[in-house]
Amino acid sequence: MRDLFPNRWWTAVWLSCLVLLAVLPFFANDYVVGIGLSVLMWLALTQSWCLLSKMTGYVSLGHVVFYGLGAYLVVITWQQIPLPLAIVGAGVLAALLAALVGLPVLRVRGPYFVILTFGLAELVKYTITWAESASGMASRILFGAPDLQVIYFSMFALAVMAVAMLTWVGSSRFGHGLRSLRENEEAAETLGVPVVRYKLIAFVLGAAIPGMVGGVMALRSTYFVVGQVFDPMISVTVIAMAILGGGDNARGPLLGVLFLSLLSELLWANAPLLYMVILGLVLIVFVLVLPQGIMGLLEGKKAPDNQLPNDAAQASPKQGGTP
Amino acid sequence: MSALLQIQGVGKRFGGLQALEQVSFEVQAGQIVGVMGANGAGKTTLFALIAGNTAPSTGSIHFGGRSLAGLRADQICRLGIARTFQIVKPFPMLTVLENLRTAALFGKAQAPDMASADKAAWQVLEEVGLAPMALQPAHTLTLSGQKRLEIARAVATGAQLVLLDEVMAGLTPTEVAQMLQTLRALHTTRGLTLLVIEHVMRALMELCEHIVVLHHGSLIARGTPAHIAQDPQVHAAYFGDSP
Amino acid sequence: MTVLETLLSGQLLFAALVTGSLYALIALGLNLVYGTMRLLNVAHGEVVMLGAYAAYWAFTAWDLSPLLVAPVVAAAGGLLGYALYRGIFKSLLADSSAAQVQRMESNSLLLFFGLSIVLQNAAALVFTPNNRAYNYLGTVYHLGSVSMTGNRLAALCVAGTCCLLVALFLGRSVFGLATRAVIERREAAFIVGVNVDRVQWLSFVLGFASAALAGVLVSMLGQFSPFSGFPYTIAGFIVIILGGLGNAMAGLLAALLLGVIETYGVALTSANMRSMLLYGAFVAALLLFPNGVFARRAAAR
Repeated sequence: MRDLFPNRWWTAVWLSCLVLLAVLPFFANDYVVGIGLSVLMWLALTQSWCLLSKMTGYVSLGHVVFYGLGAYLVVITWQQIPLPLAIVGAGVLAALLAALVGLPVLRVRGPYFVILTFGLAELVKYTITWAESASGMASRILFGAPDLQVIYFSMFALAVMAVAMLTWVGSSRFGHGLRSLRENEEAAETLGVPVVRYKLIAFVLGAAIPGMVGGVMALRSTYFVVGQVFDPMISVTVIAMAILGGGDNARGPLLGVLFLSLLSELLWANAPLLYMVILGLVLIVFVLVLPQGIMGLLEGKKAPDNQLPNDAAQASPKQGGTP
Repeated sequence: MSALLQIQGVGKRFGGLQALEQVSFEVQAGQIVGVMGANGAGKTTLFALIAGNTAPSTGSIHFGGRSLAGLRADQICRLGIARTFQIVKPFPMLTVLENLRTAALFGKAQAPDMASADKAAWQVLEEVGLAPMALQPAHTLTLSGQKRLEIARAVATGAQLVLLDEVMAGLTPTEVAQMLQTLRALHTTRGLTLLVIEHVMRALMELCEHIVVLHHGSLIARGTPAHIAQDPQVHAAYFGDSP
Repeated sequence: MTVLETLLSGQLLFAALVTGSLYALIALGLNLVYGTMRLLNVAHGEVVMLGAYAAYWAFTAWDLSPLLVAPVVAAAGGLLGYALYRGIFKSLLADSSAAQVQRMESNSLLLFFGLSIVLQNAAALVFTPNNRAYNYLGTVYHLGSVSMTGNRLAALCVAGTCCLLVALFLGRSVFGLATRAVIERREAAFIVGVNVDRVQWLSFVLGFASAALAGVLVSMLGQFSPFSGFPYTIAGFIVIILGGLGNAMAGLLAALLLGVIETYGVALTSANMRSMLLYGAFVAALLLFPNGVFARRAAAR
């Protein structure tokens, strides 16, 4: 929990976000609620992305594939199975894909992993596009979707789950193993970390929530367009938010999500291309100049960006010597 | 009493290169055994085979009577074998303490939680002299510090057999003396068995009770340090028919 | 058309050759930058796109033949490459400690990706996202049953010639030797006196120049938009992963193979399949070669 609330300032930030987002649908109009929904969605997506990519260092550029699959499942089972089941199924389907491709995909390292995940997402996108056109479905229309409040609170739950999951993993033995393999995979394995198994678990865990997020978001629009739910810009945006925020715990993504969501709201209606240019610039600037993100700035670059909660509290009787 | 580590007929081939051939020897529990040989003799390959980083092409390795065939590196670590790397592989952005925490959590010690892992880690840090640096990121350590970290990490796994790969390389004579002291202390207080690759002759001769000599992948001599110093084949390998 | 007719079609062969030669040219540029600096230039396709636009404007605004403009555009591309090298990448690589190299390579990929997004969308802002095309050398020539438009022939010839020239350069010249040395083992090349810095920036310049040139050729062949560049990047990656680093001949063959797979694949199945095939090949190539075929070289770095 110290990962989430390291000091009073952060406790205040989280609590105010929680309260504000929880009560938003009760006093704001649909447009504002839509913004809140968007924030929650990005929060859920980015937190789940961090679970794989920040913790293990395997940067995935294909996160959208889970989102899209989840959306697709909900759409093709529309009004044939109860909606809650479909949404859970969306998460399961995404996790299944991760489990299936995880072993071969995670053998690939560094930049190759990045472009492989990208390629995989695009492959799934084009395969489904082809399958849809081959079966004669130009697009699918959803009637009778639940109203905004239901969608909103479902997403709220998913965002909370994502934050909780990342926080729990971050302070667990499993999480320490992930960080170790991120720092040096060979050394970690030689020290007893079951690296192959751990990478796969992180991959599968990080896939489930985006699947459900995709399922819920599919209910937002009456049209289902394959290209939209598998849009690679979703993957890019998640990375931008995580990098902008920095760190490998839940706090960084919160900052990144809030900042970029706000920016997107300001620009999307009138200057979507400009927003995209800024997104690209964020990636460039933060990779080049501020790899530790805003968190790195705020919390000082000398501290490692993964300060585990127990460190400061741990006291050896002889601690305090000069380094 | 059967030996702790049994290497039998072990060979390793990398494509066209025979790195090791028909190497056989034993290490008894509690011994400090040195592995000597010119560069390219196959010493680090031997370590990689024992620790499970790669698999032997021929022969077998037994630890505590149990075959290591087909086991992954992390499984072998949990059995009680740990190694250091010649080119140090710290977890650079984790603190020194966190580096050891990994070892205590996932090695043979299998610490049940972070708190007990850290407790064990602090203990090792004290013994190795790294306690003052415990909360620094590992990449900020000097080379000598990072070598100590390698050793500390290996020890923190709770391993019974520790493979030390050229831990003295690059150290000043004073640092070598300190390191020798540390290693002897660790060996005694923790009842470790050590297998030591070393080029620093003085350290090797002082530390080890028994030495095996590798040359072009084959084991050409074995015995006490005094015996090895006189062995004509060793002389030939080092001063005579050099590669 | 029956399957056999499709396979034996000279028309398709011609199309495959044109596509393949373009891919070869594009992959060459990618290969040079990646080989010497281990940077996966995801924005390579955008340089192609910019080259296409440059030729387009030259033609529609000033009536200049793209073939005439090509050298100028290529030079401009080279200049851009040089600027990027000096401005960013030289310092980026200088800082790498051995332990950080792989993470840095992932990061530099994100950096290039960001650049790609910036270029695509900035171009869309400036040029509008609409498709552009112009008609040049549209006359159709006939060789047997095969109809070839002048622009396709020209593209094939130019791309083919450039690839051969670069291959010769890499294979025969002293500088080419130096380049291949840097690609194979950078530290060793440095030690034997190769001016690694010069090899690197020259590779950048050549890489970007060839991309811009490819863009000019692409502009002659059909429609394009600010977002047309990216598929070329993917194709280029497939080629270098399949063909291997610094191996010009293998790269050429891989590019032709890709052109063949794509052209015949689409003809045998459907246009929708094109992207599926492309990305399918991409994923397969990466899974089969987890370290991009360069495993031992990655270790040697």
